[in-house]
Amino acid sequence: MKIAIRMLSIATVILWIVILFFSVTAVYSVMNVGVSVGEVQMLPSSKGVTFSLPFSITNDGYYDLADLNLTTRITEPNGTVLDVTETIVPSIPKGTDINASHTIPIDLESILSLDHISLLLNDSSFNVEVFAGLNFARAVPVQLATNVTLPWGAPLANFAVGAISVSPYNDTHSEASIPVSFENHAMLDIAGSLKLEVYNNSDEQIASGITAINVQSQQSYVDSILVYPRLYDVSKLTGSGRIHMLFETPMFTVEWWEPYG
Amino acid sequence: MAELNADFVTKTVLPRVLKAAVWGTFTFVIVYYVPMMLIPKDIPQSMFPFDYTAQLFEFALISVFFAVAGQLFSRTVIGCGFGIARALVVIAYFFIVSDGGVFSITLPVSEVTVNVMVDISILLLMIVSVNLLSIAKNLFEAISLLNENSTRIDFK
Repeated sequence: MKIAIRMLSIATVILWIVILFFSVTAVYSVMNVGVSVGEVQMLPSSKGVTFSLPFSITNDGYYDLADLNLTTRITEPNGTVLDVTETIVPSIPKGTDINASHTIPIDLESILSLDHISLLLNDSSFNVEVFAGLNFARAVPVQLATNVTLPWGAPLANFAVGAISVSPYNDTHSEASIPVSFENHAMLDIAGSLKLEVYNNSDEQIASGITAINVQSQQSYVDSILVYPRLYDVSKLTGSGRIHMLFETPMFTVEWWEPYG
Repeated sequence: MAELNADFVTKTVLPRVLKAAVWGTFTFVIVYYVPMMLIPKDIPQSMFPFDYTAQLFEFALISVFFAVAGQLFSRTVIGCGFGIARALVVIAYFFIVSDGGVFSITLPVSEVTVNVMVDISILLLMIVSVNLLSIAKNLFEAISLLNENSTRIDFK
């Protein structure tokens, strides 16, 4: 019995020492982990833009950091998920430092597809949820979560089509002037071609035209696009109708309908 | 009878009280004073999910109480009972303070709030294990003491 009691006493003391040692060294290690986050870089890519967030972690503690996982989820205000990106660093051994970057590719074509056409024409905001997790000393999981709201500037904000004016052009065609205006609230310059097809209120195509557009970020576009309908078609032009817009850029192509009159 | 009482006080009670006082002071220094010295003063209180000075003081009081009681009643069944009670109280205390082993705090960082969750279940498990060992040790001690008393032959 006495031996058993002595062994239990020794085991208890050893375990308490282990707990205290781990607690003290863990607190010391946490205080010696340095995290620095660089500035967000915006890089153009073939499908849109890529945001890169460089960060470095210096582990001067006594324990390894494992399973570092940085996840960002971008959602529209209505909850539609636009992008989920994950960056994983399997291990940061003690006494080392790592440099990594969390890259969020923004595929403008998918964002500005028909389902999200309102993002093309109206300013909005995105909800960015950030989750970070790591395993401290492979024993203590730590998780961080936050969310921020990012404003979204529409590339064709306040898009408006004015009243169509028609004037004679030659014996076979007339010249129709379609005033178009919008503001580029996006952080990128937009350059591409805007093709439009004018339909009357009976959905008959009257004319079509194309123009090149190059608008810098935070600038307005106000111009009249000229189309040349045949004299026969001009007679079918009604006071109101709709215009089929097709906007093509090297990064994305979008189409939508815009009323006139 | 008066001589017997004086002898009992000087040979048994006084040493135990002195030993209990020393152990109580030592426990307070180790459990409260040293950690308070080691914790950097520039860490904001918001970094902790609880008021750590108050919690540490509470834990120090519990530790000092059981250290003093354990020394006053050492080598008795009551002392073993205090040992078991201390282990149970420490287990319950850590469970309550650590919210079952998962800390959650909300930190304001510039304009956003960051929710931090730290899972110290393994540390809690170690604390529970060591206290279970302590309970087993005190039970064995109590059995041993009862066994000694029941088999002792007094030749007076």
